[in-house]
Amino acid sequence: MRDDRHRWTPYDGAWSPYEVGGIAITPVTPERQILISAPAVLSRHPGAIGWPDIATGDSYAISLRRDRVLLVNGPDMAEGWDDEIGQAVSDVTDAYSVFDLTGPKALELLKHGTEIGLQQPSRSAARMLFGLGVFLYRHGAEDRFRLHVLRAQGQTAWQMLTGQAGRL
Amino acid sequence: MTSHRITQGGLIDRSRPLRFSFDGKTYQGYEGDTLVSALLANGVRIMGRSFKYHRPRGPWGAWVDDPNAVFNVTLGGVEFPNCPGATTMLRDGMVTRSVNAFPSASFDLKGGLDLLHRWLGAGFYYKTFIWPDWHLFEPMIRRMAGLGAVSAEVIEGYASDQMHDRCEVLIVGGGAAGLAAARAAAESGRDVVLVEDHDQAGGRLYQLDSVEGQTPQDWVADQLAAIEAAGGRVMTRTTAFGVFDHRMVGLAQQGPFGYAPRLWRMRADRIVLASGAIDRPVTFANNDRPGVMSLDGACEWLARYGVLAGRNIAVLSNNSFAAPAARMLAEAGAEVTEIDPTTGPIRALGSKRLKGIEVAGKRHPADTILVSGGMTPLVHLWRHAGGKLDWDERTQAFLPGAAPEGMAAIGAANGTFDLDQALTEARAVARDEPRPDRAGDYRVKPLWPEPGSKGRQWIDFQHDVTLKDVELAARENYVSVEHLKRYTTLGMAQDQGKTSNMAGLAAMAAIQGRPIPEVGTTTFRPPFVPQPIALYSGPHAGQLYHPLKRLALEPLHRAADAALGEYGGWLRPGWYGSGDPAGHVRAEVIKARETAGILDASPLGKVEVMGPDAESFVNFIYYNTIKTLKPGHIRYGFMLTERGNVMDDGVIARLGPNRFVISCSSSHTDHVRAHLEAWRQDGNDPDRIFIHDLTQQWSTLTVTGPKARDIVAALDMPLDLSADAFPHMTLRETTLNGTPVRVARVSFTGDLSFEISIRSSRAADLWQALCAAGESVGAGPIGIEALSVLRAEKGFIIIGKDTEGETMPHDLGFGIPRQKKQAAFVGDRSLHMEVANRDDRRQLVGFRVDPGAPPLPTGAHLIGDGDTPRSEGYVTSSYDSPTLGHPIALGLLERGADRIGERVAVWHLGQRSSATVCAPCFFDPEGERLNA
Repeated sequence: MRDDRHRWTPYDGAWSPYEVGGIAITPVTPERQILISAPAVLSRHPGAIGWPDIATGDSYAISLRRDRVLLVNGPDMAEGWDDEIGQAVSDVTDAYSVFDLTGPKALELLKHGTEIGLQQPSRSAARMLFGLGVFLYRHGAEDRFRLHVLRAQGQTAWQMLTGQAGRL
Repeated sequence: MTSHRITQGGLIDRSRPLRFSFDGKTYQGYEGDTLVSALLANGVRIMGRSFKYHRPRGPWGAWVDDPNAVFNVTLGGVEFPNCPGATTMLRDGMVTRSVNAFPSASFDLKGGLDLLHRWLGAGFYYKTFIWPDWHLFEPMIRRMAGLGAVSAEVIEGYASDQMHDRCEVLIVGGGAAGLAAARAAAESGRDVVLVEDHDQAGGRLYQLDSVEGQTPQDWVADQLAAIEAAGGRVMTRTTAFGVFDHRMVGLAQQGPFGYAPRLWRMRADRIVLASGAIDRPVTFANNDRPGVMSLDGACEWLARYGVLAGRNIAVLSNNSFAAPAARMLAEAGAEVTEIDPTTGPIRALGSKRLKGIEVAGKRHPADTILVSGGMTPLVHLWRHAGGKLDWDERTQAFLPGAAPEGMAAIGAANGTFDLDQALTEARAVARDEPRPDRAGDYRVKPLWPEPGSKGRQWIDFQHDVTLKDVELAARENYVSVEHLKRYTTLGMAQDQGKTSNMAGLAAMAAIQGRPIPEVGTTTFRPPFVPQPIALYSGPHAGQLYHPLKRLALEPLHRAADAALGEYGGWLRPGWYGSGDPAGHVRAEVIKARETAGILDASPLGKVEVMGPDAESFVNFIYYNTIKTLKPGHIRYGFMLTERGNVMDDGVIARLGPNRFVISCSSSHTDHVRAHLEAWRQDGNDPDRIFIHDLTQQWSTLTVTGPKARDIVAALDMPLDLSADAFPHMTLRETTLNGTPVRVARVSFTGDLSFEISIRSSRAADLWQALCAAGESVGAGPIGIEALSVLRAEKGFIIIGKDTEGETMPHDLGFGIPRQKKQAAFVGDRSLHMEVANRDDRRQLVGFRVDPGAPPLPTGAHLIGDGDTPRSEGYVTSSYDSPTLGHPIALGLLERGADRIGERVAVWHLGQRSSATVCAPCFFDPEGERLNA
């Protein structure tokens, strides 16, 4: 039995915006995140965001795989299997922490953690970043990147991103 | 001084002198020097000692092919071990020490070991230290082994940046061919990256008077300017150390001394290997003497650093590069004698100081012997990528053969040693034009080790592997080059065989009378040159080395004085309170049994399976029958591997006709999700089944104990909590203050329990409400350690702790589905194999000890009582039960179910005790408390 409480930096899930030369990292709290899985779900969400697409507006769909999208700030939906449409719906608002990375060095920071480039498109926004599974896309601007990471790994992502940003 | 600095020439900056020390003596070098070139310039010959015999060692090569000059370097108060002197750039104030030598390289107390060389040949350790016990000698040998010692101090901030990048064409090597190829490719519009491990590109061009009508400096500068003007990138001090899958090339980019290199993971559409070639040593008697050096290395020291390797030089070469090299050395002021090494036996004369060389009985005075046994292309990266090698008689070398996809070799790396041909070839390859045939004026005579010849002849300079060691290995039938390498340690020194492999395999070929290509090479593996571990770990250090998942309620647990630890990849409360962990755990167990415990069970899996085929899918995934499960009900079950072994256990609840939620083990959720996805896409219709892992959307708080119902009732949910309305193994969906919650009556303690799941952002309110309600009845938080005791008292297992890789469900007392379940399920067939039906399978049982005896050690073996006892199983869980007042244990025991009541012997670390086999359930076997 080991008491390792002092070996881990306490966190409360409320990160303060962090800024260091050429890059800002800001926590974002979407009102709603809905996971939808269905055959040919992308045809029902033709504008679903992949990489390096730029999501605009407050409400949009992210393409995760050929049968799955994440609706950000979409309408409230009943959870479970929707027999009529033929889709699985789950509220994952509390399952993912969301961060914005902004600034001229933001892409360089991402290149520290994943093989990525604006010239290498992907239909899916899902990828590994610093060993963590994330959804990554651009939001609102050429140099604003938004990532969703599982809530329990939010602190790890924050420590990694801010730590690496500080070394740029 | 034999070696010395000449007054002009080289790429060093003579206006910037640098002070440094070596083995306690102070010297001066210049900006642009390497440690080795600076020492040579000061007349220092002996720079180290060999690994085994502690023979004096001078540098062999001028760059990555030198195995001898290895230093511990201190700069700025921080010491770095095992720096290769030939590639470490000199910095002002460096304090360097030779490794594996005391007090200095020139006078080493262990040098006397060489007198014992007759008894210290290959395999000496294997043959000598087997009696009475290897471990008796091991500590001493470990102390003697190794090179530089690692400093105990931690170097703060020594971490590698890691970057990912892409390019169309990656040129490895900035020599003539690499520069020409990079320029041609860049000017063709390609996205080009050129990597070069020197400070200054140009390879061996500086040995020449002119290149295409220009001075080497001007030609190199022109190429670099043209590459960059065309949009190409040039990365100097950068080594391509490995080629990995899908043309991902690992690049180590050096920064200032003392800083970890930066790792680039460069993905290239095409890799052009222009890594050049190195000189081969010639194997002759005393060829390891300081002053026997690579001819090409000496030319590099002269061309790049303005250092002349000797004054009276014997050039011993079998190839056509000797003449221009000799001319260059002579023009720099040396007296040079060219000697044909193929005329008879060769012997170096002198010991620490060379006196000359004897060839075919004729003596030639010399203070330096420069050797070239032919050029060996550096094909390491080619082999990393899976490229083939072909033996080429003309060049007496292994050359790149069938190419890996997207890779080409040019220049000396391809065996194209003549400059004009190399430039033509490089430009053709870069432009995707047909490449010319390999040709050129380079000529080389075969010159390989001669087995049976006299004298001690070194194959591996650093590891002291001689020709006689290779002969011994062959006599003892270690004839494969891979076996030869391991038996003799040939090629396992710091240079990883760059200088020794060709001689070693040629010697083995000669001993066996086989052609060299038949003997083949050993496997080339990354890294091409040694790299610090920090290069690979990058930012993944400290808390980020193995980051744990963090609970939504961690701040509240910390506020409640929780002792946090890793449990299945999560940072979770082990117990609450500081000091005396055992006392806190005991109190929490008693509290849970007497009133109630409140546990943060959020990591429990919450994986939803939805869709028209969800029912048949979970029925297929589970060992147990699930299709009969009604909405609102819960069933305990196992998931098996295809081999029929228990992969995970847990409960599954049905939320609706087409919707299930799987509550798998906390530490197995990711595995279970992947398992479900794999089966969903294989053998099932993936358009009719969907899997959403919602584990982190929902936090789960468990209230367990006789007062659990009272505490949950205080939440004032619109829910009838009575046993009749809400029985064990059922689930209700309701709301708490308007927020949806799921309440499950399921127990992992054997007591009345409610598991309440709520969206994670609202979990804090629920936790505080439960704790407040619990406080009034004497209940409170409990940690994982208490839960482990509670579940063991009831005989509930933890997968991976109370099961092993061979455990099947019937070993745990769940045999009915195996016999009765009609529908197919994962692992079904394996449960009917012979191994599954053996009567000596290890089965789950409990153990009791005699009154007053201590708990059994977890992991203790259960042994038979025959003359030669063997392990018949082991203890998997053991606790001193606060509830029962005596120790309890669970374990896996051969034929355990048939041995209830039997006394078994227990063995642990040499101590014997005994225990009585019993049923695994120690608490409330009738389940009255569970169903209350």
